[in-house]
Amino acid sequence: MIGIPTALLLGTIMLLLLLLLAARGATAAGELSPRSDVPLLDDETWVDLCPPEYVVRIFSPEDCEFVSTSKSPQLEKLFRRERKLVALAWVHQTSTALRRIMREHTEATRQSHDLHFATETKLVLVYAELMFLCAMLFLAIQTAGPQRVRGLAVYADTLSQRLARAQQDLKTITAGREFHSASS
Amino acid sequence: MSATAKLVPVQTAYDDLLHRSLSKISCDLARLIYLASTRDYNTGTYHHDGLAARFRPDVAGKALEIAHRQVFYRLAAFSLEELVEQLRIYLDCSHESASDVLRTWQKLEPYRIAIPLEVNPAITRLFLSNVRLALAIWRWRQEQAPKNP
Repeated sequence: MIGIPTALLLGTIMLLLLLLLAARGATAAGELSPRSDVPLLDDETWVDLCPPEYVVRIFSPEDCEFVSTSKSPQLEKLFRRERKLVALAWVHQTSTALRRIMREHTEATRQSHDLHFATETKLVLVYAELMFLCAMLFLAIQTAGPQRVRGLAVYADTLSQRLARAQQDLKTITAGREFHSASS
Repeated sequence: MSATAKLVPVQTAYDDLLHRSLSKISCDLARLIYLASTRDYNTGTYHHDGLAARFRPDVAGKALEIAHRQVFYRLAAFSLEELVEQLRIYLDCSHESASDVLRTWQKLEPYRIAIPLEVNPAITRLFLSNVRLALAIWRWRQEQAPKNP
């Protein structure tokens, strides 16, 4: 068992690491913008998560295998560069959408009268885990390439979809209550 | 007019578009180009004289918009191999020389304006990137062809 000072030290190191990764991710996103097709999404108000079937496609090894059958180093290089940019853009979009979801959630909880502390804590922890995963993915995609981090990306996407669904459920319940109280 | 009453003619117009026009087009890539060409560059609204005459212009526009988005999402979900095949069908059906079309597409990237409005940005990036790769693969195949007769 570790003592409180050690736990605090470990916690601080983890937090610093998290901030460093997040900063690295933001820098990578900045570098990504001028090189790519679609402007990066700084307007968080409407950004949605990418549907899971396309996430699987972005990180799929199938396309990589198809390109490698050509045995052309130029084509393989082009594929790696293109897919890396798409994957990085996906991570950026996911983290932007997650920030939007959590902002909406914070606004919704302000109006809610029966908050469950355990549920809220769990949601905040899931959000923190997801932001950490996004930062990790930014680094991993740049260093190892999208195909090698497929599992992590799919996991992050599943968790993101779950968080989005939880927020949507809360929104529906809050809207239902508002309607009920307005009509009674 | 209720939402359901509005939806029914759009669905009918969509079915009509599917059976009369889109089913006669050789592949999804060609369908995407065709549907994008019915959209006004300035306003983003869709026009189709025949469909507007059978239904109303706004109903025809909505049906075209839905069809455009659906074809786009279907194409974006294709594997690279499937997209290369789509490009082959498109080139085969075009009356121009394949190498000319490939060169023009690589230079001007006309497929960029074939993207519907308000689609998921990550999917748009994936699609554009895949088309670029499919073109590069075709170009490479053409260069290899004389070497391997």
